[in-house]
This record gives sequence, C-alpha cells and structure tokens, in this order.
Amino acid sequence: MDPGLIPLITSQDPAVRNASLDASCLPLACAQLLQEAAALDHFRRHQDNLYDRVRALFFLAALHRFHLPSRPELPPGGHIPFRGYEQLLHRRFEEAIDTFLATQATSGPSDALSSALAAAYHRLAFQTLADQVRRSVRTVRGNQWMFRMGHPKDQPLRLRPELLTPGPDGSFPILRERTPVRMDLTHSAWSDIFFLGMDFPEGARVLNVSVDLGVHGRDSSTAPPVSAWLRVIEEPVLRLVSVDLAARADISNLSEVFDFAKDYLGLLKAAVIASGLVPPGIEGSGASLADLLAEMLGPNRGLELVSSVNDIPKGSRLAVSTNLLAALIGVCMRATGQAESLTGPLQENERRLILARALLGEWIGGSGGGWQDSGGVWPGIKLIEGTPSQPGDPEHGISRGRLMPKHHVFTRQEIPDRSRQRLQDSLVLVHGGMAQNVGPILEMVTEKYLLRSAPEWAARQEALGFLDQIVSALGEGDIPAVGHLTTRNFEGPIQTIIPWASTHYTERLIEQVRAEFGDDFHGFWMLGGMSGGGMGFMFHPARKAEAQERLQSIMSATKRDLQHALPFAMEPVVYDFSINEVGSCADLLEGPDALMPSGYFALTIPELVRQDRRTLSAQRRAELDKFGAACRTRPELRGMVQTLFDALLPRSKSQAAAHENLAALLAENGFDATQHELIRADLRDGRIGLAQNRLPPNASIADVSPQDIVDLSRPSSAHPSLRARGEAALRNGTIAVVTLAAGAGSRWTQGAGVVKALHPFAKLGGRHRTFLETHLAKSRRRSQQFLAPLPHVFTTSFLTHAPTQDFLAQRVHYQGPLLLSPGKSVGLRMVPTERDLRFAWEEMPQQRLDEQQQKVRDSLRSALIGWATSTGEASDYTDNLPLQCLHPVGHWYEVANLLRNGTLAELLRQRPQLQTLLLHNIDTLGADVDPTLLGQHLSSGAALTFEVITRRLEDRGGGLARVNGRPRLVEGLAMPREEDEFALTYYNTLTTWIDLDQLLAAFALSRADFLPGADASEKITAAIRSLASRMPTYLTLKDVKKRWGHGQEDIFPVTQFEKLWGDMSALPEINSRFLVVPRARGQQLKDQAQLDGWLRDGSAAHVASLCTWS
Amino acid sequence: MEITKALITAAGKHQRTLPLQTLVDRDGASKTALAIILEEILRAGIERIGIVISPGDEAAYRAAAGPHAARLTFIEQSAALGYAHAIHCAAEFCENDAFLLLVGDHLYLSTTELGCARQLVEIARAEACSVSAVQSTHESKLPYYGAVGGQLVHAARRLYQVEAVLEKPTPTEAEQKLVVPGLRAGYYLCFFGMHVLTPAVHRHLADLFAGPEPVHFRSALAALASQERYLAAELAGRRYDFGVKYGLLNAQLALALSGTDRDEVLRHMVELLATNSR
Repeated sequence: MDPGLIPLITSQDPAVRNASLDASCLPLACAQLLQEAAALDHFRRHQDNLYDRVRALFFLAALHRFHLPSRPELPPGGHIPFRGYEQLLHRRFEEAIDTFLATQATSGPSDALSSALAAAYHRLAFQTLADQVRRSVRTVRGNQWMFRMGHPKDQPLRLRPELLTPGPDGSFPILRERTPVRMDLTHSAWSDIFFLGMDFPEGARVLNVSVDLGVHGRDSSTAPPVSAWLRVIEEPVLRLVSVDLAARADISNLSEVFDFAKDYLGLLKAAVIASGLVPPGIEGSGASLADLLAEMLGPNRGLELVSSVNDIPKGSRLAVSTNLLAALIGVCMRATGQAESLTGPLQENERRLILARALLGEWIGGSGGGWQDSGGVWPGIKLIEGTPSQPGDPEHGISRGRLMPKHHVFTRQEIPDRSRQRLQDSLVLVHGGMAQNVGPILEMVTEKYLLRSAPEWAARQEALGFLDQIVSALGEGDIPAVGHLTTRNFEGPIQTIIPWASTHYTERLIEQVRAEFGDDFHGFWMLGGMSGGGMGFMFHPARKAEAQERLQSIMSATKRDLQHALPFAMEPVVYDFSINEVGSCADLLEGPDALMPSGYFALTIPELVRQDRRTLSAQRRAELDKFGAACRTRPELRGMVQTLFDALLPRSKSQAAAHENLAALLAENGFDATQHELIRADLRDGRIGLAQNRLPPNASIADVSPQDIVDLSRPSSAHPSLRARGEAALRNGTIAVVTLAAGAGSRWTQGAGVVKALHPFAKLGGRHRTFLETHLAKSRRRSQQFLAPLPHVFTTSFLTHAPTQDFLAQRVHYQGPLLLSPGKSVGLRMVPTERDLRFAWEEMPQQRLDEQQQKVRDSLRSALIGWATSTGEASDYTDNLPLQCLHPVGHWYEVANLLRNGTLAELLRQRPQLQTLLLHNIDTLGADVDPTLLGQHLSSGAALTFEVITRRLEDRGGGLARVNGRPRLVEGLAMPREEDEFALTYYNTLTTWIDLDQLLAAFALSRADFLPGADASEKITAAIRSLASRMPTYLTLKDVKKRWGHGQEDIFPVTQFEKLWGDMSALPEINSRFLVVPRARGQQLKDQAQLDGWLRDGSAAHVASLCTWS
Repeated sequence: MEITKALITAAGKHQRTLPLQTLVDRDGASKTALAIILEEILRAGIERIGIVISPGDEAAYRAAAGPHAARLTFIEQSAALGYAHAIHCAAEFCENDAFLLLVGDHLYLSTTELGCARQLVEIARAEACSVSAVQSTHESKLPYYGAVGGQLVHAARRLYQVEAVLEKPTPTEAEQKLVVPGLRAGYYLCFFGMHVLTPAVHRHLADLFAGPEPVHFRSALAALASQERYLAAELAGRRYDFGVKYGLLNAQLALALSGTDRDEVLRHMVELLATNSR
C-alpha cells in the first residue's frame, strides 16, 4: 500500500478502502497532516470519479475540522479572509477554497483558516453529491422530456377520455388515488439516503411495510391515510385544494405554479410539475397556463387537484408527505395515460415511474425524502435495495449504484399470513408528539459513512445483519424475535452512528413501558430518521389492547413533564393500523358518487353559499345538490351540518381569551407600555432598525494588540500563584456562579419556545443531561474539591421561570445556595417592517441555498414580506400563544435584575464575604470556576474580566476590537461593515468575571443598599434605569414558530429589542480586561447540528471531565 | 419476396370522406386524394388494390378513383370497430401474400425520383421481411401517431430493427421504451402511414380477435416483431396527414410547392401575406 491517505479512497482492496480515516491520521504530526491535505486537494481536483472526489472532500473537511486543530503545532487564532467568506455564502465553494489556501500559503496555517477550509470542503462535498442526485433524477428515462418541453403547443399529454365526458348532470367524473403510508422495520442505519445507495448499493437495504391507519379511539376502522382527487372543471385554471392544510387556490398563471412557498400548496404544485401536467421545462417561458391546459383538456377547461390526509400529524416518520406526493403524481399520471391503469392497483413499471417522479417532485419542492419513502405505493411487506449501475444507465461510470432502488414484495410463502397477522396483533404504533428536523442527522450519517469511522462502520455492518435476521424471524412468524431485533438495532448500531437519534423522551417511554409490561413488552422500533415522533412498541398480543390505552397515558404524562424541555408539536397519538396488501389504488367516481372528500366541502361551501346561486356554474350547482343529497343519506357525512355551521360561524371566544391572557402576562412581567410605544414610533419613523444598530461608518474598528489581552489559552501559560489565589477564593466562598437561563433556545429548536436550560441535549455520564444539570455538576465538583458549597444562580424569564423552578424542586439536589433570579422586564414582539426584512435578507451577507431550495426560500420570503405589510408593520405581534408573543429584553437586564429582584441581597445574606461573580451563558458548557482564571481576575483588579477565544468561521456575532483606539467588545449587530469582524482575532464568549463592588459602583450603588432593611428598591430601580439609558438598544429579528393543525408549524420573523451585556466593556469608567481562554472552555453550543462535532472533537469529554453528577 | 397487393383503409368514422376531397396534384391536374394515393401505389408496381370502406361508400369511392376504379376490390367493414379490425376484414383479399398497407387520409411526397411507396416496396423486397415506413417526429406529436423503438441496422439506408411498437405513446413511455440511438433527443420514429407486411400479421390479428381483449393493430405488429425480422425505414419523403386541422391545406401546399405551379402558388401566397400585413 502507498503511504498516505489517498489509498483509502482508491484501493480496490475493501480492507484498505474501508479503513478508518481517524485511525490513519492518529500517528501523523501537524506537518504530515498538512502534506496529506495538499495531496488530497490535488487528488480531488484531478479525479474524474465523482465518489472518489466526494470522499476526498470529506477527508479534507475532517482533517481541517478535527485532526489539525488537535495538533498543538497548529497556531491558534489567525484571520479568515472576508472574500473567502463571501464566496462561501454565495456557494462559490471552489473559489472560497482557493482563497483560503492562498492565505494559508502566504500567512501560514492556523486554527481559524482550518475552520474555514473545513466548512468549505464540507459544503462542496454535499453540493457535489446534491448535484449528482439532481442530475440523476433528471436523466432517469421517462423524466427527461419534461425538461425539454418549453411551449404549450409542445405539450404531448392528453387527458384520458373517460375523465373528459361529463355525466348527465353536467359534472365530471373524479379519479381518486388512495395510498397507504410506509413504516420501516429497519432502514439499515439510514441506508436509504441517496448518496449511500448510490455509493454503496450492496449496503442500501430497507425493509418496509405499507400500512393503513386510523387514530385509536377516534376512527372506527383503518384506511389508506392519504388520497388525491382529480377532475376536470369548466374554467381554464388549475384549482389546487389541500383539505388537510385547509388551503385552496385557483391558479391561472404559469409562474404561480412554480411559486412553492407562497401558500400551503407547494406539494400539490410539485406534483403538477413532476407529473408533467406543467412540465419543469416550461418554467419562465412566459407561456399561458390556459393554453397549456387547452392542449391537454380542450379549450376553456381546467383541472382540480385535491389532496387529503386522514388527520395524520406531521413528523409521524411514516413518510406521509412523500406518499401524498406519490398519490398526487399517481393520479395525474393515470389521468394523462402515463400509467396504463386508469383504476385499480398499479403495475410494477407504473410504480417505478411514479417513484422516479416522486424523487423529481421532492427535488423540485426543495425537500428531500429518502429513497424508500414512496414505499406506500407498493403493497405489503417489501425489501427495497440499492442496485449497482450497469452500462447504459445514466449513473454508470459516475456512481456505483443506480438512483432508483429495486423493490421485492414478499410473497405469502416468504412471509406467511400468520406472521403478518401476528405483527398487526403485537405492534402499537404511536406518534410521540415531537416533530423535529431530521436533516442534520442525515448529513451526519452521510459524512460518517464516507469517513468510515471504525465504530460507525462496524455498526453499519451490524445493522445489515439485523435486516436479514428480521426477515427470517418474519418468515418463521417469530414476532417477539422481531421486537428483540428492532430494539437491539435501536440501542446498538443506530445510536452508535447517531447518538442523537434517541431522545430523553423516548428513553423514558421505553423505561416506563418495560417496567409496566415486563416480558410482555417485546421491543421498541424506531421509525424513520429519529425517535420522538412516530415509534413502535411491540407487545404480547394478549396485552395489545391494554398497551394501547396505557401508552396513550404514559406518553401524555411524560410529554406534560417534558413539555418545557423538548420541542413537542402536538399531543401524542396512538394509531390503529393494518398492513395494506394492495398498495396505491385508484377508482373512478361517477354519477352520484362523484363527490370530493367531505373536508373539501367544509373548505369550499362557506364561500359558495355567500355567492348568488345564479352566478355558480352548472357544475358547481350540480355538485352542491349532489352533496346535499349525500349528507342526508350517507352515514359517514352525518356530522357535516355541524362542521359547516362551525365553518360559517367560527367561534371567536378563544381568541378573546388569548388576548386577555397576554395582557395579564404583560402586566405580571413588568412590561413597559410607554417604552414600547416609543420604540414603535421610532421603528415606524425609521429612527431605529437593523441598519441603525450599527456603529457610525466612520468608527475605526481594529484588531486588538497583545498588550490588550492576557493569554491563558495554553496550559503552559498558567501561573501557580494565580491558581493558588483562585483556590483560596473558592475555599473562602467569595465567588458565586450566575448562569443566564432566560432564553428559549430559538436556534436550537427554530423558535419552538422550549426552556433551553431544561433541554436534555446529550448523554453525559451515561444519561441525558440538561444544560442546567451540567452547569450545576461543574459547580458541584468545585464545591467538593474545595469543601465550600459554591453558590449558583440561574437567571430566568417569564418563559423559563416556572418550569425551571419546578425542575429544581423535583429533580435537582444541590448542596450550595441555589437561587433563581426571575426576570423583571419583558417586551412584546412586533411585526417587522418591510425595511428591516429587506435589510436582513437582501443587504446582509447570508448563505445562499442550493438552487431549488433558494427558489423556495425566495418565494417564502416574499410571502413573509406580504404578511408583514398586510398585518401592519411595527404592529403588536399577538397572533400566537401568549408566551410566544413576549420576548426577553437581553442579557444586560438579567444582570440588572439580580440587583432589583432581591437575588443579590439574598446571596449576600448567605455569603456576606462574596466578592466575585462568574457570569456565563447557558450554552457555554465549558465555563466553570477555574482557579487560575479566577486568580488572574482577582490579581488584575479589574471590574469585569471578559473571556474571549480565538475565532473560527462559525464564531459570528462580534468580537474583541479596538474601537476608536479603545479595546472593547463589539456586537455583530453593531459592526459598521460586515468585513470588520473578520479582522478580529478574538470572539466574545460572554463569560465574565465580575468584581461585585466595582459593578455596584458602576450602578452608583454599594453593598449597603442590599442589606436587610436597606429599603433601597427605588434607588436601585433608578440606578438601573440610569445605566440602562447609556446602553445601546439593538433591534433584532427572531424566528418564532406558530403551531396549528396537526403538528403543522410556520415560522415567522418578528421584531424585538435587547440590551446586551458585552456593551458594559464600552463604558470608560469600568475597568474591563480581556482574557484569552481555551476554546473548549469558551465555545457555545447553540445549534443541534453542532452536537456531533462537539462529541467528536473531544469537547463533550472535556465537559464531562469538569462534572460531578452526584 | 413478391409484393403484388396493396390495402388502403378508409372506413374510419372521421376518415370516410377525406379520400374523396379534390386536390391539385404536382402536375397541375385536379384529382381526388384517392386518385393521388392510387397513382402512388401503381408507381410502386402494384396493381391489385383492396380498399376497406364503410357500407354504402362504394359508389362515391368508385367515382373518386376515376380511371383506376377497375383495379379496386372493395371490402366493407360492417361496423366501426377500429383500425385493426379494418385490416382483419381484408384477410381474405390479402390471402397468404405480403401486401403494402396505406391509410386513406395521408398523402406522401417523395424528395427523390422514386415515390415513397416504391422506396418502401423495394426495401421490403430486398430485405425479404415486413418493413414499416417511419419518420423522425418530435415528441410533442406523439399523441397523433404510432411509434417504434429499435436499433439502427444500416445507417446509410436509415434502416432499423424494430423491437417495440406503441400506439400514441406518452413521452414518458416513449422515453423508456422507444429511444433509438442516433436520433436527436426528443425525437422518435413515428409511423408514416405506410407498411409492407408479411401474411403473418393476419395470423396474429386472427389470434388476437379470438381473445376477449380489445385488439390494437400495434399488438399485432409487436407480435410480428417478436417472431420475425421486422424493419423500419426512414424514407426520402414526407407524409401529410389531411385528417388533422389544416391538414388538407398543408397537403395541398406541399403538393403545389413541389410541382409545376410552384411559382404561381408562391406569388399568390406573397400577395396574400402582403395584403394581410396592411
């Protein structure tokens, strides 16, 4: 074998090709790693084979992200060229890499540059893979013509004559496609990700079952949960109706068909495009939709396409949306003769065609379902496998596998009826209520697969073995063994590859079920990409009914317990299910049966009854008559009268109640209405806004010089005397910790409004731990080490106070003083101004997305601007749960609140000797009372010692700078020019050592004001107001989630304001110092996507080493 | 292989009157479309011609055939049961002979000295097998024609071995089954409306009509392709379907612009254009 890493990519010997990168890098020193990186970069530039290129890119990303930074020879710090950053944002990854490498050649390698290179290589790798999938989707035979078609006259599709002939009453027949959803018994460790299937077809194997569903206790029987309905209408428009999302639109313009995020009809639009009714090639042609429809249907006719989901909530992990897309595509393809069967089940070639189009539809709609997700189109239980590409395939010579998998439907001989029945009698299928984004998990899986990290690679092989064992257990009818295997699969390979596939919630459910059902509980079954949403629990058939009831109670109780800690989108649900042995199936509804689903009428009738009956078309009149007759005779439409009554006269009581609730909350939490109105007026008049957050353009922003900082980032630089001084302070009890815990983890859950402190984010010490527990565990360790209980304060807000208080009371045992500092200030969110939205989206540099996703995002943004202007710019944001309408007003107030709400007084009562506070953010997990750093702070005599770290690419949002010659922290919002930030070596961690007396002096207060009986509350309030007036107010945009329907979520940008703690460093009278600390101490965990890197680069182990759990 | 018979189908519901239309031929003489088709056949050296018509149409067709009427054998299709059935009705006329098959609503304009029918018959004689004339056609026209897929066997003579036959396929199906190497993307070999077929086709039709399923002519052709050598040939010429909108006008213009009155017709057209532009 040649030396170096390239043979790991090119070798024909599987033992070499599948060797782990991590192990191969272990013996290499920094210089050797840099040489390897250069060789890999050269290799990937000259390599024709796509997958070799991609692997080299992932290797390069891993070298720069994990291996080089762990070598002590790599210089910390360094600067990232802003030009390269801009190129990254514009997805010009190759140019960005060249820019970073050029800087590396001239200025030498550095930690900062490696972080930038890691990001660039990583994104280029995914872009290359995405490009290949897109190319393959377009080149699948049967899909290509749609990209060539650019004129209505070229439309070769014609509607089937059966659908064009109206009945005697003038109404057209309806073609209805009903499709089951799929549940996967195992996906062999996410092997259905396209990239895996195309690179490792032998290992891409999924066992999935088509199922009909009903909600337990609500539906009397199970049915295919998704359906698509199509009929001709006498208007030259595309009428799209989503019954499940209560949305409808008459589209008369071609460009609207391609506007996916404008409304909730994106899936229907993707289906119309992917089925060739409006082929993708016609986008942007300026042609007329009516002309295109006329070509297919004859003049002045249009099509109505309706989607309906049987109230199955989002996040079910049953691929509801992909199967709905497939149903919609199926009905359109049958209607246009692209599938030979107009009705009945589909033939195998037709299913494959629908799969190819569903893949296309997923790509067009900017989503990205897996390769097995359209499994509901097929019947029964099937094995879906990757296939090696052959000469003649578009993929041949590019990837090892084909884009499209093959499906083997198990016969009754292979899996007998009794096995199928037993499976149905044993499995309790549930939706746990959590709806989380699986996207980051899929990226992690892809990366780990391509790096062949040893434990993960072994786990992948093990998962493949489980599939065979499950098939054989099904063949033998041994369902308990199936449960045993799915559990082992979940606990073994799945969590070895992605620990985040499990959640604290899931594990508590399993624990309780196991305790209650003992040996009658046969196993747990994770559905789809992660747990928490759709899941399966297997029981002895005799106890299934009982288990269904109990699981509902257990899930509801556990959800109630964790609802502030985890992002739940809905109340948990237990399903009834049955295996669907037909697959997707269509029927033609004619005459009196030609009726749309009942939900369709609830959606359309209120508008129709407001119209003069004479203005309705004959078709509409006939339909209403038919529906009226059906309501009187059909039992399933019995409740329609009430439904229509509710739709016509909606209840407004709950909304009024919500407003009262909001008003009460504002009053309780110190809302300042006068200040709010001032802010609104300033915002409307343009005096404040995102652009006004910035320092004046003539402000000079420069990097600090070595005399401005003290560098304690390397162990060798520690000083024993400093350490001794810090240890003494710890022993004497003169220090307390303040953790800022008022936040709702907006980035962590995209605005779901959970209490970040209580979020069980990762397993440490063998269990899921919350941020709060982790911070206390560090204080516990120091308390035990220095035999002096360390006081710990958590600041809270209206959103976090009560849940945090409950959590501490019920779950936490902490020896030392443990205090909560409740917030005393709150703001009311506002609808943003168009000016600020455009500033954020058009003027601020930001990440461009992949082509199709960017189109979807642009369309969404223009819809959101429309929302803001039509709702009223700078009006109060009240159209959400009351708690989602309030906002915390920034961490500056959290410190001030300590003074105002009596927490400091209480702390001083318990620790009169208190001198120092260590203030840190909830997500700075490495922050603890390090004696050396404390000693440094005490020795310096500073009022505030701010900790900074050397900057990496991801550290955005300000830093340490000399502003007009004076060192201070500058927020990212205040940077006059984006590029200024890139000249700064250090990033602000927010962790601050505070000298209590000097802080009080800055407020013009003293300890005496906090003594019992001092009665200084007015003085304190005035002092806070006075200092607050000197702090800048920043206007920000935050994402807030609005939940509705069945687990549906919308994200709205809202305006709020805040004052930030770092600006204290700008006050000239405060003696501020800046301390460079190790990265592991200062880095912040803000995003779930960071978790995997945090675990892999040793940060998690470092944090665990600082903790004592009991 | 001897080819002595030709069969024209003209019994379709919307097709019955089309061959009776009068056009001005390339030589400037007014003729019925039927007469033009008959002359095309005669130039190919075939003298026995069968024509499938609806009951009651014989007199009109006899009149339209003019001097060639005596060569015609009239075969009545008692009910409008489709194209395959029309050919099946002529089984007796064809007996066990290979025959040239044409549709009554197409005109063929050769770009060489040899007429289209003659070109096709010569290929079939030389290759001693069934041959369908085809024309490379854009996918947007697929709803109007039958189409074949296969492999090129002789590039210079534009001959293809037929492997699949589909009637009016969707582009989706065509892309999966009918892509022919050598054609431009989005183009398929669509029927020209002219075939030379061996008697086997009648056996296949008879088998199909014995079954319960509706019979399509493409099924008989597909069976033919699966059991014997069956070629498709791109001829030097174009077909004009006068059964479609403006089809008759297009056919007339094509005839006129390739004939003796070309200059006169062009002058009329320019005048027309100039008048309309005012």
